[in-house]
Amino acid sequence: MNPRTRHALEFVLDNLVWFMLVFVLVIFSIFIPNYFQLGIFANIIEASSVLGVMSIGLALVIITGHMDLSVESVAALGAMAVGILFCSAGIGLGVQLHPEWLMVPVSLLLAVVVGGIIGVINGYLVVKVKMSAFIITLASYIWVRGLVLVISGGRSAQDLAPAIRWFGIQRLFGLPLTAWIAISCFVVFSLIMAKTPFGRHLIMIGGNETATFRAGIRVNRNLVIAFVLAGAIAGLAGWLLAIRTSGATANLGVGLLFNAFAAVVIGGVSLKGGVGTLPGVYAGVLLLSAINTAINLMGLPANFTQVIHGLLVLAAVLLDAFKQTIRQRLA
Amino acid sequence: MSEPLLVLDNVTKNYGAIEALKGISFSIGKGEVVALLGDNGAGKSTLVKIIAGGLEPTSGRMLFEGKEFLAKSPAEAKAAGIETVYQDLSLCTNVDVVANFFMGREITRKFLGVPVLDEPAMEDVVKKALASAGTRIPSLRTNVEHLSGGQRQAIELNRFVHFGGKLVLLDEPFAALGVEQTRRGLDMIRQVASQGIGVVIITHIMQQAFQVADRIVVIRQGVVAGDVARNKTSPDAVISMITGETLAGAGPAG
Repeated sequence: MNPRTRHALEFVLDNLVWFMLVFVLVIFSIFIPNYFQLGIFANIIEASSVLGVMSIGLALVIITGHMDLSVESVAALGAMAVGILFCSAGIGLGVQLHPEWLMVPVSLLLAVVVGGIIGVINGYLVVKVKMSAFIITLASYIWVRGLVLVISGGRSAQDLAPAIRWFGIQRLFGLPLTAWIAISCFVVFSLIMAKTPFGRHLIMIGGNETATFRAGIRVNRNLVIAFVLAGAIAGLAGWLLAIRTSGATANLGVGLLFNAFAAVVIGGVSLKGGVGTLPGVYAGVLLLSAINTAINLMGLPANFTQVIHGLLVLAAVLLDAFKQTIRQRLA
Repeated sequence: MSEPLLVLDNVTKNYGAIEALKGISFSIGKGEVVALLGDNGAGKSTLVKIIAGGLEPTSGRMLFEGKEFLAKSPAEAKAAGIETVYQDLSLCTNVDVVANFFMGREITRKFLGVPVLDEPAMEDVVKKALASAGTRIPSLRTNVEHLSGGQRQAIELNRFVHFGGKLVLLDEPFAALGVEQTRRGLDMIRQVASQGIGVVIITHIMQQAFQVADRIVVIRQGVVAGDVARNKTSPDAVISMITGETLAGAGPAG
């Protein structure tokens, strides 16, 4: 095989999910009436903001060779914290700040800090107690959701303060500001992973933790930071979720974890760690969203979504294995 | 022997009831190459890990450049100027050659106050380092998983030559190398030592030890069984020290 074909093949393998996304969009545009519209595409991006943001945090931790199952519950906790303080109906306390715009940074900070605290707990337990991240974050997934139920008493908060909800309504180039927040998160974290020593270290830790430790990289510190980032980003996802639903319910976001997981795997992140990029994850998120939109447009019962998502994850894992065999042939 | 760089004084290491090191004492001078020999399980790798900060000794003390020294982590040892090349390769196969070469000490430049990887600068350094050592790797941007065992070891060896430090620990560095590469590796060691860097090399191959070392230290069952200048001993004498038949030819300790 000559170097050029090999190069081309590697390029395709590295960016497979983008090709899949384009392929799916083309197929849907051809076969589903009304799919090919700017509004539909904007909707695909808009609908994927919360999932996208959450997937970033999950991907960071998986690339580092660990796991964070708690992101969904953490997002719910962040949303509930914002909901209780700044909603005026239901269990909302209707806290008012002056000037009004002050509620935006305060609520955002609240959600991010709440998420970050859970991240600190996860990271500390993984690093110091040296337990499997899967078990520790599974526990967090359960107890944080429990905490949401406890502080809400199982009831919901409605009517989020308009100053905060403005982010979900105000549009820029056809997309609401919440979608732009998700996009900028992807840009910022993609740059961090690809261009900074911190990102490089996370990828290397995922590849060979012993080697990085021996090379003098402070592995434990980096791991804790990764978990804190995952928590804080999940908190941000919760903030977006609260805006989107204009409040918070006790079961807000249930099932998002599995979609995030699907997006990350489809996006080309290896569960073994060390492999994957955030732009790929974004493509995975958009792919899921594109398929959801297609299901809606075709008028299929929404219950099919879950079946299709499950099959997609299965396909993604098989594809990952297939990609590895091809790579070994190439090497 | 010149001024001692590292002095080990009765260093022990127990794993539960097992005494891996029963009390090791020897010293390494600046610019000196010490070959550490011994049978499997004699405690050589344990000793290297203690010096390199990967393991903590149970008792005993070390002096590095005349000062009390105990590295609690590889980062501390590295900061003190101790470089280590381990027996099992310490590379991240999921990233490229350049990233591995600079693992943990990437060259950065500030962009809006944020440290950003300076890839061209790093690639340049790696290109020069590998070229001067005569190592050929097709592309510095290929992931290490696609490279051969010899190429991987070459990266590690060139890394320590480039970054130098004050003391280099090599734990069987030539296990995956061919004849020509090994010869070049031995040259590298002499070259590094001539810059005043102390070198400890663990090896199983007597010939290598005699080719490169100034002094030969034999460890047997967790104690120093022999510590002799290379030109005052012979391979046969060293072998008997390793197996413990006699101590014929073993010079005075220290």
